[in-house]
Amino acid sequence: MRVQIEMELEDVPGQLVKVLEPISSFGGNIRNVLHERERKTPLGRVPVRVVFEVEEKVMINRILGALRRMGVRITRIGEKEGAFRSTVLLIGHIIHTDIRDTIDRLNKLRGVRISDLSLAMGAIGQESAARATVTADDEVRARAALSRLEKIAREKKLLMLTSLGEM
Amino acid sequence: MRLVLIGFGNIGRGISRALIEKARFLRANYGLTPRIVAAVDEYGAAVDERGLKIERLLRAAERSRTVAAYPAKGERKKSALEVIDDVEADVVFELTPTNIKTGNPGLTHIKRAMLAGRHVITSNKGPLVVAFRELDRLAKRQGLEFRYSASVGGAVPVIGLAKKLLVGNKVHAVRGVLNGTTNYILTRMSKEGAPFDVVLRETQELGVAEKDPTLDIEGIDTACKITILANAILGMDAKLRDVRTVGIKRIGPEATRLAQEAGYMIKLVGVAKRGSLEVGPKLVPAGHPLAVSGTLNAVTFELDLAREITITGFGAGPRETSSALLGDLIDIHRTLGG
Repeated sequence: MRVQIEMELEDVPGQLVKVLEPISSFGGNIRNVLHERERKTPLGRVPVRVVFEVEEKVMINRILGALRRMGVRITRIGEKEGAFRSTVLLIGHIIHTDIRDTIDRLNKLRGVRISDLSLAMGAIGQESAARATVTADDEVRARAALSRLEKIAREKKLLMLTSLGEM
Repeated sequence: MRLVLIGFGNIGRGISRALIEKARFLRANYGLTPRIVAAVDEYGAAVDERGLKIERLLRAAERSRTVAAYPAKGERKKSALEVIDDVEADVVFELTPTNIKTGNPGLTHIKRAMLAGRHVITSNKGPLVVAFRELDRLAKRQGLEFRYSASVGGAVPVIGLAKKLLVGNKVHAVRGVLNGTTNYILTRMSKEGAPFDVVLRETQELGVAEKDPTLDIEGIDTACKITILANAILGMDAKLRDVRTVGIKRIGPEATRLAQEAGYMIKLVGVAKRGSLEVGPKLVPAGHPLAVSGTLNAVTFELDLAREITITGFGAGPRETSSALLGDLIDIHRTLGG
């Protein structure tokens, strides 16, 4: 099971290592750490996001307990919350090529969903643009989702823009 | 060093001006005294084995629109091939306009120059996308130096950086914003929210985009550069048709706005990787080294030891391009033990 927790740490050396320790010692497999020093809170704390995997749910509580005993401020806990997000842009006749069908076909993939969608209509007769956030539980699913979406885009003559480094 | 300039348009004039400006510098620092012994354009040539006066050459080209008007030494209808064959020289600069289908006339000029035993420096993408391997092999067989830094990135030393300073690395991939015109259009579209056609027209009026901007906006110019990088840096035998190419014509202000709202800029990015060559609009996170604005170019190398290196600079313009051409000239001079 994949878990994402967000916490705030004091901006002093050694803090990050200290909070990662109980995660691995209680059997968590750390997949991703985002240490956002440039996004300090007004109290001068540094937000940190850690994604890790555990075998059983009970381990999560042990890890959280250990962190809280250390005085770590946990701001958010998400279970299986799609850890892999990709932003894509679609350009073309998005509505006329049945946007509902596009979304449904993507959501049919296991562990994948479109979690956000914004549309900008072009002038009459012109192409529209849409921005979608594709959320997936792991990297393999994320890649499968993007190639499925690319196939749909090709079929519907939509231009698909992925972000740098993807596809 | 005796130089022949084939082509005397913006780029030919640019390098000529740089040679005047840098004459003392080149002599003092490198013991290099370049002499232009011939210059050719589509109407004729000027030849003087003792060296043409560069100021006079520029004046002839500006007033009479051809170097053939050079006093006493100019000759109308004298062709590039005659000059290459007849005029003793060390280095031939091939600076004629690009033709991506046949590579000509540049391709023929370069081959003929190599067969005549001249080192070659070019800014011309045509011959490089049509016959890179052939030219590379011919130069090696003839024991000649062949340089083309100016063909990619203008002033940005993309090829030199990879082939000289990063030689201890394996290059996994090269990604770049390699076309100033499209980057300028995309930047203005995202700042002003104006439609593509309007921005393009204004860009043409400013002289940033050419009258026929097809090669730029359809991504073909970037694809040419990706082909050259794949050949020169990744050691591939790539042709232009191997690059999957999408241009920016379908990008409108709606798309740039949606991208911006999510923290991205739309950039026309070329990618050269073994097994995958592509050009197309991409979402580049704002703040990413490739998210350069205006007419800037930027190139990122993905390397095994150094990880990532990005360079940025001006990709076009006669003065900027002369930086690359002059760099090639000094490099050949030093390679030959000068």
